[in-house]
Amino acid sequence: MARLDYYFRETAAGLRRNGTVAFAAMSTAFIALFLFGLALLIAREFDLVIEAWTGNVQVAIYLDDPVRTDTVERLTEQLGQLSAVSEVSYEDKDAACARFIELFRNQPAITDNVECEEVIPASLRVNLADASQYEQIPAALGCAPDDAGEVVCSAPGVRAVADYRELLDRLVAITRVLSIGVLSIAVIMLGSAIALVANTLRMGMFARRKEIGIMRLVGATNWRIRVPFLIEGFIEAFLGAIAAVFALFLVKVVFIDRLRGEIEFIPLIRNSDVIAVAPWILIAAAVVAVIAGTIGMRRFLDV
Amino acid sequence: MISLQHVTKTYKNGVTALDGVDLEIQKGEFVFVVGPSGSGKSTLIRLLLKEEEVTKGQVYVAGKALEKITPWKVPHLRRNIGTVFQDYKLLQDKTSFENVSFALEVIGKPKHVIDQRVPEILDYVGLGDKLNSYPDELSGGEQQRVSIARACVNRPLVLLADEPTGNLDPNTSVDIMRLLDKVNKIGTTVVMATHDQAIVDAMRKRVVELEQGKLVRDQSRGVYS
Repeated sequence: MARLDYYFRETAAGLRRNGTVAFAAMSTAFIALFLFGLALLIAREFDLVIEAWTGNVQVAIYLDDPVRTDTVERLTEQLGQLSAVSEVSYEDKDAACARFIELFRNQPAITDNVECEEVIPASLRVNLADASQYEQIPAALGCAPDDAGEVVCSAPGVRAVADYRELLDRLVAITRVLSIGVLSIAVIMLGSAIALVANTLRMGMFARRKEIGIMRLVGATNWRIRVPFLIEGFIEAFLGAIAAVFALFLVKVVFIDRLRGEIEFIPLIRNSDVIAVAPWILIAAAVVAVIAGTIGMRRFLDV
Repeated sequence: MISLQHVTKTYKNGVTALDGVDLEIQKGEFVFVVGPSGSGKSTLIRLLLKEEEVTKGQVYVAGKALEKITPWKVPHLRRNIGTVFQDYKLLQDKTSFENVSFALEVIGKPKHVIDQRVPEILDYVGLGDKLNSYPDELSGGEQQRVSIARACVNRPLVLLADEPTGNLDPNTSVDIMRLLDKVNKIGTTVVMATHDQAIVDAMRKRVVELEQGKLVRDQSRGVYS
């Protein structure tokens, strides 16, 4: 008990003494962790869009109603034999509807006005082993553009073939550019946050070098000397992390929630997505604190 | 209690501070280490605290070979050794009581031990009425008494004093020596580096003289030169 009290007092004294520098470290940690979370949320948003628009497959073959079991079996086998195809799976109407409702759970304007069972068709969902040999698929199903330019298929039970290769490629590319871009900035900022936290610790140790000298002389262990500084680093990083999570919620409320209902057929991130990102931000904050502690205290504490 | 065997210490810059020193100090002894500046007195003290490593030879303190003490056990060695310096090394923002209790607090002693021992030792060094004075409210001699109290509060086996009277006038120095003698009388081994001739001559204790890192004289009941 006496020990906890000691650590608490030492840490509080350290934060007070170093107020401005600690604030700089904290705000840098905040910005870094905010950008880190933002990158994760951007990736999540595009995952949702990709899921909604393509169902994460490169090719969808929509089937005529009512779907006959033997049609599904026959087409699955036929497609499975093509060298371009790596995977075929069947999504029935119920599953398609469930996915649709889940994606647009927060946009009742969409789910309420769409009669799912009528509009959403069952489909065979195909991933390609070799995207450049896509043409094998419409050829096998006897699909060709008609006079009006619409693709019609002669294979029985097939309504249409949707080629999502390009869309998927583009969405993935945009996701990559955006989230990797933001993530790179976040990494640089995390680096500065580490440097600044390490620096506050170092300045704190410098300000207390006489005390530390005496502590060593009277036989205080290294951990006894270090722990208050380590706690200080953790507090700075975690305050930054908490502020970052709040800021992400704010972004969600101010920017994302306004779009809800305005933009059709784009699923948007929800509170649960922000909450899912929070642990990663806390882990990143812990990493910042640990690295900063290791760097900041190395030089000062050789016996 | 303390044993040096063929101890040589050469610093990285090539300076040899101690050169083949052999020295045995028994439990309860009072030993002056004398010699001009740069003769190796401070290096000797730093070696005993394991603030420096020997280049050659062996150092034993309280029966332990220092070279075998791992870095993370060094604090436990230092808990058995009290240290006093010329410049007192007191924390200016702490009272006498707090300066002494700090030494116990940072080695994890419980509060009831601190509350009992700190006033006791401050009384012992003659500062029973100055528990709440800050260092700048105390005279040099009183500040050195606080530092001796801090060095002794954890009941060390050995007290190392590096020029403890260096900043004090002759009369105050005599008081401090009386106090160190008193600490010695209760069984603490005292090793004091000094070049205060008057004091060494007056005390008539064992004198070890260093010159350019070599032990040139070891005399019981000796004088400065």
